[in-house]
Amino acid sequence: MAKVLVVDDDKNLRLLYEQELSEEGHEVTLAGSGPEALDYLKAQRPDLIILDISMPGMDGIEALGKILAKDRTMPVILNTAYSAYKDNFMTWSADAYVVKSGDLTELKAKIKDVLKTRGIPA
Amino acid sequence: MSNEALKKTITLILSGGQGERLYPLTKDRAKPAVPFGGIYRIIDFTLSNCLNSDCGKIYVLTQYKSFSLDRHIILGWNNLFNNPEVSRYLHILPPQQRTGQTWYLGTADAIYQNIYTLEREKPERVLILAGDHIYKMNYAEMVKYHVERGADLTIACVNIPKAEANQFGIAVVDENNRIQGFQEKPKENAATVPNDPDTCFASMGIYVFSTDVLVRHVSADARRESEHDFGKNIIPAMVHENMKVFAYPFKDENRKEQAYWRDVGTLDSYYEANMELTKVAPLFNLYDEHWPIRTYREQFPPAKFVFSEAANDPNPRRGQALDSLVAPGVIISGGTVEQSILSSQVRINSYSHVKDSILMEGVNIGRYAKINKAIIDKGVHIPERATIGYDLEADRRRFTVTAQGLVIVPKEMPME
Repeated sequence: MAKVLVVDDDKNLRLLYEQELSEEGHEVTLAGSGPEALDYLKAQRPDLIILDISMPGMDGIEALGKILAKDRTMPVILNTAYSAYKDNFMTWSADAYVVKSGDLTELKAKIKDVLKTRGIPA
Repeated sequence: MSNEALKKTITLILSGGQGERLYPLTKDRAKPAVPFGGIYRIIDFTLSNCLNSDCGKIYVLTQYKSFSLDRHIILGWNNLFNNPEVSRYLHILPPQQRTGQTWYLGTADAIYQNIYTLEREKPERVLILAGDHIYKMNYAEMVKYHVERGADLTIACVNIPKAEANQFGIAVVDENNRIQGFQEKPKENAATVPNDPDTCFASMGIYVFSTDVLVRHVSADARRESEHDFGKNIIPAMVHENMKVFAYPFKDENRKEQAYWRDVGTLDSYYEANMELTKVAPLFNLYDEHWPIRTYREQFPPAKFVFSEAANDPNPRRGQALDSLVAPGVIISGGTVEQSILSSQVRINSYSHVKDSILMEGVNIGRYAKINKAIIDKGVHIPERATIGYDLEADRRRFTVTAQGLVIVPKEMPME
C-alpha cells in the first residue's frame, strides 16, 4: 500500500481516481489545485503524487517545479489530457507522463513502475 | 559568416561561481568581472570569442555580486550583440527560482533552474561556457565538429604536457577522439593522446550538448542527491551510458606555436597570466586584429608621463614605465614603474617605485612609496614612503599574502 496524492481540478475525476486507486490498495488523498497540494505537503509526505497539468491558477508544471524544489526525490507522475506537454522540457523532470484516458490501466501500471523503481512497496 | 548550425545553438555563459580562490579580488565582484590586463575584465575574453565566432544568442547566467558584471556587460557588450531584428541577443539571466528555491547548487543545477529558457528557445544545441578563462577560440568550429559527428556531447580539450596532468581533468580518448572516461588530476599513469605519448587532453570546461540530451540529464540529476556538477556527475554518467561523447581538440586562434589557455582561478595563476603580458613578445597576443579582444571602458585622456630630469642626476625625478602596460587616464608623475600593469586613472607620484605589480583603477602611489610583487585593487591610496612587498611578515599582518609571496591589497582599503 502506498500513500498517493492526487492533484486535479476536476472533482469527478478526483473521486474516480480515489475509488480506483483505493481498490488497488493505495491510501489516497485528494487536492483540487497546486497550492492545495503544496499546503498538504508542508506536513505530509506521500509516496507518490499524480499531478494534472492544465489547472486554473498554478498549473501542474509550476507546481512540479515547486514540489521538487522542496523535495527533489518526491515521485511525481504527470497526468494530463494533452500529449503536447510531453515536448515541454519543464515536464522532463517528472518520473512519468501519462495521457488521461477513460481507462486507468496505463496510469496504474506507471504507478507500479515508479513505486518499484523507488523501492516503495506497492 | 553564415552558419546554420550556429543559428540553432544558444550559448550559456556560467558566471555564477563565487571565485573563492581569487579572494579578496572577488570580495565585491563576481569572478568574471575581475579586471585583467589593464583594461579588460575576465569575461571579455569569452565574450570576444563569442563575437568573433558569430555566436548570436547568448545568456549570461549570473548570481553572486553581479552588479559590476551586469554593468560592464550592459555598457560594453549590449550594442555589439543585441539586434532583435536578426535574432541576435545577449541577455543577463539572474536566478529565477522557477524550478528551485535555492541558489545554484552546481553547474548542472544552473542549467536545470533555467530549463524554462531552453523550453522557450528550443535550440538544437547548447554551447556552455565558463566566463573565467583566458584564451582565443572559434566556437563555431567546435559546433560544426559536434554536428558532423552526430555527438550527444562534445568537450573542448587542450593538449597539455603529461607532467602537468595532475592539475587537470584528463579525458581518456580512443583514436577517433571519442571519450572513454576521465581521470581527475591523475598523479600517475595519465592517459595520453593517441599517437602522442607526451601530452594529455585536459578538459577546458567548454561543452556543446544536444539540447534533448542536456535537458534529460540535468533533469534526472536534479532528482538525485549529487553535487549537480557537469564534470563530476553529468559527464561521467553519460560516458558510463555509452553516449556519444567526443573530445574537440582546441584550435588556438592566438596563432602562436604554443597553444594559450589559462585558468585564472587562483591569485597566483591570475597574477602570472597578467605578468606574461608585460613581456617583449607575450604568448597571448592582444594586438592581433585577426581575433580582436574587446571590452567596455570609459573615455579617459591619454596616459601621461612627466618629469624627465637627467638619469645621471643624484636623485632624478623621472616619470617612466618600462616593460609595462599602461591604460589611458594614468599619470606617471616622477615615479618609476617596471614590469607592471596599470589600469585607468592610476597615479604614480614622484620618487615612488612600482615593480612586478598590478595596480587597478584609481590607485594612487604616494611619493617615495615602494611596491613590489603586489596586486593593489581599485581605489587604494598608498601613503607616502609606504612599502609593500618587501617585508612579507609585516604585509601578512595587513593584507593577503599568497604562498608564492604575492601581496594583495583589497579594494578601497583605507591606508592613510
